[in-house]
Amino acid sequence: MAIPLSWYLIVAAALFCIGFYGVLARRNAVAILMGVELMLNAVNINFLAFWRYVRPEEPLGQVFAIFVLAVAAAEAAVGLALIISIYRTRKTINIDNIDLLRG
Amino acid sequence: MSMDLTAIPLLSLILWLPVVGALLLFFVRKESTIKLIALATMLLDFVVSLGLLLNWSNTGDMQFVEKLLWIPPLNISYHLGVDGISLFLVLLTTLLGPIVVLYSWHNIKNNLRAFMVLLLVQQTGIVGVFTSLDLILFFIFWEFTLIPMYFLIGRWGGQRRVYAAVKFFLYTMAGSALMLVVILLLYWQTGSFDWIELQQTPLDPTVQTWAFLAFALAFAIKVPLFPFHTWLPDAHVEAPTAGSVILAGVLLKMGIYGFLRFCLPLFPDATLRFAPWIAGLALAGILYGALVALVQKDVKSLVAYSSIAHLGFVMLGVVSLNQQGLAGAVLQSVNHGLSTGALFLMVGMIYDRRHTRLLTEFGGLWKQIPIYSALLLVVVMASVGLPGLNGFVGEFTILVGAFKANRLWAVLGTVGVIFAAWYLLAAVRGMLQGPLDNPANQKLQDLSAREIWVLVPLILLFFLIGLFPNLFLDKINPAVETLLHGMNAAAQISFLP
Amino acid sequence: MNASEIIRWLSPELILLITGFVVLGADLVMRRRDEGRTAAVIALIGLVLALIMALLLAMNNPATIVASTFAVDPYSSFFKVLAIIAVSLVVLSSMDFMKGKSRYLGEYYALLVFVTLAVSIAVSATNLLLVYLGIEFLSITSYILTGFLRNDRRSEEAAIKYFLYGASAGAVMLYGISLVYGATGSTDLVAVGELMKAATGPEHLLGVAAIVLLLGGFGFKASLVPFHQWAPDTYDGAPTPVTAFLATASKAAGFAVAGRVFITAFPQFTPDWMAILGSLAILTMTVGNLTALKQHSVKRMLAYSSIAQAGYIVLGLAAYNPTGGTFTGLNGMLIYLFAYLFTNIGAFFVVLAVERYAGSSEFSTFKGLGKRAPGLALLMTVFMLSLAGIPPTGGFLGKFYVFAAVVEKHFLVLAAIAAVNAIVAAFYYMNVIRLMFFQDSEDETPLQVSSGLNLSLVVSAVMVLAIGILAQPFIAWAVESVQMVNTRGF
Repeated sequence: MAIPLSWYLIVAAALFCIGFYGVLARRNAVAILMGVELMLNAVNINFLAFWRYVRPEEPLGQVFAIFVLAVAAAEAAVGLALIISIYRTRKTINIDNIDLLRG
Repeated sequence: MSMDLTAIPLLSLILWLPVVGALLLFFVRKESTIKLIALATMLLDFVVSLGLLLNWSNTGDMQFVEKLLWIPPLNISYHLGVDGISLFLVLLTTLLGPIVVLYSWHNIKNNLRAFMVLLLVQQTGIVGVFTSLDLILFFIFWEFTLIPMYFLIGRWGGQRRVYAAVKFFLYTMAGSALMLVVILLLYWQTGSFDWIELQQTPLDPTVQTWAFLAFALAFAIKVPLFPFHTWLPDAHVEAPTAGSVILAGVLLKMGIYGFLRFCLPLFPDATLRFAPWIAGLALAGILYGALVALVQKDVKSLVAYSSIAHLGFVMLGVVSLNQQGLAGAVLQSVNHGLSTGALFLMVGMIYDRRHTRLLTEFGGLWKQIPIYSALLLVVVMASVGLPGLNGFVGEFTILVGAFKANRLWAVLGTVGVIFAAWYLLAAVRGMLQGPLDNPANQKLQDLSAREIWVLVPLILLFFLIGLFPNLFLDKINPAVETLLHGMNAAAQISFLP
Repeated sequence: MNASEIIRWLSPELILLITGFVVLGADLVMRRRDEGRTAAVIALIGLVLALIMALLLAMNNPATIVASTFAVDPYSSFFKVLAIIAVSLVVLSSMDFMKGKSRYLGEYYALLVFVTLAVSIAVSATNLLLVYLGIEFLSITSYILTGFLRNDRRSEEAAIKYFLYGASAGAVMLYGISLVYGATGSTDLVAVGELMKAATGPEHLLGVAAIVLLLGGFGFKASLVPFHQWAPDTYDGAPTPVTAFLATASKAAGFAVAGRVFITAFPQFTPDWMAILGSLAILTMTVGNLTALKQHSVKRMLAYSSIAQAGYIVLGLAAYNPTGGTFTGLNGMLIYLFAYLFTNIGAFFVVLAVERYAGSSEFSTFKGLGKRAPGLALLMTVFMLSLAGIPPTGGFLGKFYVFAAVVEKHFLVLAAIAAVNAIVAAFYYMNVIRLMFFQDSEDETPLQVSSGLNLSLVVSAVMVLAIGILAQPFIAWAVESVQMVNTRGF
């Protein structure tokens, strides 16, 4: 096995941090959603790598990754619908401008 | 003649009758019926509470005990009982009940039903405090008494009623929050919430210290002990007369009672340790209350500040930690309830007529309203401790106790008594004597029959206690003796001679 | 385990699933002619059936694990009952509130049934995979419900904020799950608990990291500081019945899952997560209470109060006592949640009644409520006193139990901070009572309350008082519900 487990984990961690940074730093709702997707993909890399290196005899990691993909799709569908609905009424999806509720 | 009342759960009856009355009130519409039901309930409650005297045995033990397991896994029970310390406080509560209802007959203009309901459930709360022998039950009643009084002040009070109500609520609630934590700590230490069991379980001195401080904070705010008194003038002055009477008459006594029932027997070592400090605060309160009362222009705040002084005096009796001091404290608690209650009623009566309470507005009332003036004089004499009236007996007994404990306390306390006499007498002289030159006063009506009936029971009791104090002390003394012996046995150092 | 047995064990969930689809079908048939009344009634019937099944299963059977992922045990049935009651009350109150506000009422009631199903899956899950699915199911349905009033800009804003926070929190939690999987090769809670037993050094650190990350997801649901930022805006903007759900059943699901996962999968980390949760409790109470003090609308104040209350609830877990005894902390959390359910639902429903009349829940709209709607004001008083933890209400019993656990654990500083916080909180709860009774409003028209709302309000108030006064049956139920988690570990 040429590539050790830690490499995968480092890639996943980096991806997760990039996604998380996007969530915190971007103001555009779609961009934040993309950040979340990056985080989820990082998790998937983790699951697959752990499956391959820790317990390859049981496909639990793969199963988990597929579930994550499915849930992420559902989540994105709802999220994008919300974003579109916001855009229709306010002509903006910058979350700094979505500020009716304060206090 | 003695009837056998042991088969009846007398305390539960006294405790819950007012609630039954309050529930009944929800089914009637007519104001006069509401008043009648409220009065009848209060009178019935008082009559039932007299049953305690009929079957009383002069021992120091808990009597009329009722015990029912309420929350089994925690061993919390519905545990009630009275002894000589709580007996007269319960009777005082049930006596003031009908009196304030009768007083409020005409002067509650809005929402009479709610007012009466609150007075009734308030009474249940207070009787609950005086009779609970389970710490959780006690705490529940203790907290519960806040709610009706909060509404009474905030809804029917004077100008700054809302401020006074909120202040009253938050102060007392702040005092008791830590008490709950400590009650839980005691449970963890002893496995019980039961007063009887706790009393028999010696506690570690450090636990005692913390527990004492938390309990004492809750009680000191209620008494109120200087410097925790600042809620009291606001609450007293802004409350409607009925509220002031209940506040001064019995709610403050819950603090005194708390010290006697919980702090002393449960934490004897801590009590001994902190007694001088509390005595210091009590003396400061006596002098402070007396001095501030001296400069009041409003009669009601004068009475309110005089309460701080009087209760400081009662606390002095408590921390004397001897037979006379404690017995005097119990008796004087009752006396103060009667005389200050009467004072607030009389202030309320003149306020109903003149809509002012400023001392400068009054003068020469003797000539216009002699019955009022004569009764006011008697009430003030009782309050300042004229021999032959109740105040004298209580104050004298406390002074004897304080003298035995510490001569300096007694001397300073006596100075306080002289001040007390001075400020009240000066105020009353200004009101009753002199020329009747204020035209508004020249049209004053004297007391109505109803108002006289409100005051008569109180004044009769002034004389009864003043002339035959042993009728009362005989019942108080055994309980105090038991308390002191229990403390002495449990404390690490013996303090009884 | 054969198919019929599985159907029996999963009957409450299956009933909910079928009910959801029947509601949708009924809506198709009725075509909005009756403003969702049929849909609501069917939803209620389904919820009641599910409630009965959940109670029957809990009463007559030993705890079982179905398909090695789904526990049917007293702990999960406690939370199922709690969620079903909450949603039933929400449905009752929605029948009037949602009229004319949306065209898609069939979907609304179906979603409410599905959200109940989501809670019951989440609280039963004994496998991190199902935990994840349950929580995401709950989240996604909640987003839609929050944004259900599409023409209301506040509602859609509440939903988008909830969604963005929720999606990120879900991803963080998932990263935690992946670490647990990496460390043990399993996602089954019991197996993880066994495999992590010997964790030392770096493995221990990994475990702590996983706990923190998982807490991102659970804390988000439970609105614990610092995962709470969504809560005030979402509670404020969502349709009020949905707010009532989010602040009670959805929150309870967060606590339930956190309790099960931490206790079963991380028993050897108990001191770690207790310390973390204890600090979060202090933060949550303090931030929630201090911010609540500054609010100008009752709904928003209740939103912050819900955050503060989460701080008290989590005290139960922070003072968890694995060795058993009278106060295990966990039972305190359950009692608190149960009392809090009725209290908070009731409080939000009073807000709903006022909002329906006045259009908002600014403090001024509550002025003089004692005169305009004495009954409503009286009920609100009961709820406020319960939130403030004053006897003889259920809120007092909850606080008492949680405090008792904290004191038993000797976390006296924690207890003192919680006590001081209770005093601060009393200030703003009493303020509502002050507004209602001590202040007069120019407008003195009496307030009308719909019968569905009235029923749910009275039920809530009666339950709040019953929990406080009867106490014993509720305590017994909570104690029984946590015993399994304590002793057998699933």
